[in-house]
Amino acid sequence: MEEYAREPCPWRIVDDCGGAFTMGTIGGGIFQAIKGFRNSPVGVNHRLRGSLTAIKTRAPQLGGSFAVWGGLFSMIDCSMVQVRGKEDPWNSITSGALTGAILAARNGPVAMVGSAAMGGILLALIEGAGILLTRFASAQFPNGPQFAEDPSQLPSTQLPSSPFGDYRQYQ
Amino acid sequence: PVAVGPYGQSQPSCFDRVKMGFVMGCAVGMAAGALFGTFSCLRIGMRGRELMGGIGKTMMQSGGTFGTFMAIGMGIRC
Repeated sequence: MEEYAREPCPWRIVDDCGGAFTMGTIGGGIFQAIKGFRNSPVGVNHRLRGSLTAIKTRAPQLGGSFAVWGGLFSMIDCSMVQVRGKEDPWNSITSGALTGAILAARNGPVAMVGSAAMGGILLALIEGAGILLTRFASAQFPNGPQFAEDPSQLPSTQLPSSPFGDYRQYQ
Repeated sequence: PVAVGPYGQSQPSCFDRVKMGFVMGCAVGMAAGALFGTFSCLRIGMRGRELMGGIGKTMMQSGGTFGTFMAIGMGIRC
């Protein structure tokens, strides 16, 4: 989600909360529009009005729950950054699991464990995808000064660091 | 990140970022759907060919949902 340009820590909570609310509201609006359109009685007028009603009732709710998730998630994330003194994917995964557990706290311990596992797995997948994407991007567009200078002129140790090792050495 | 420094390439456009978000969300959603869909389909008693269909349906659904939300999340930040 927001692996790219993350705010510094105390403001990240506000940023994530608002971003999650917007995301949930817009996405919920889209899905509820489709659902309301399909669930209404026949007739374009009825269908449009039904989808509007569905959006008005359900999309703010979805946005709110997204916002709660995002806010709590980045609060725990920031606390863990403070406590551990570093930022890595484990922070996100742990805070996803903790968020899931806390938000399901009123449903009993079994639901807490299930929800925590879900949050942790989900955040682990997202972080993994982000890492893979970063690697892929940096392998495809190796950034660095090779646009200014000819790469073959440089010693191979100065080549841009590629995740696949220094593959140019074996050619 | 895809953003590249002062040498040559520019930042990816907004639509590119939305597309990337959708693809990434789709992949994440499909993986998550494969995991959770397996559990829930096994729980309601699907086996064999029916189980495969159920998992595929859950994967498609959650991939689409996740992709849409990720695309929106990318879109509101650029």
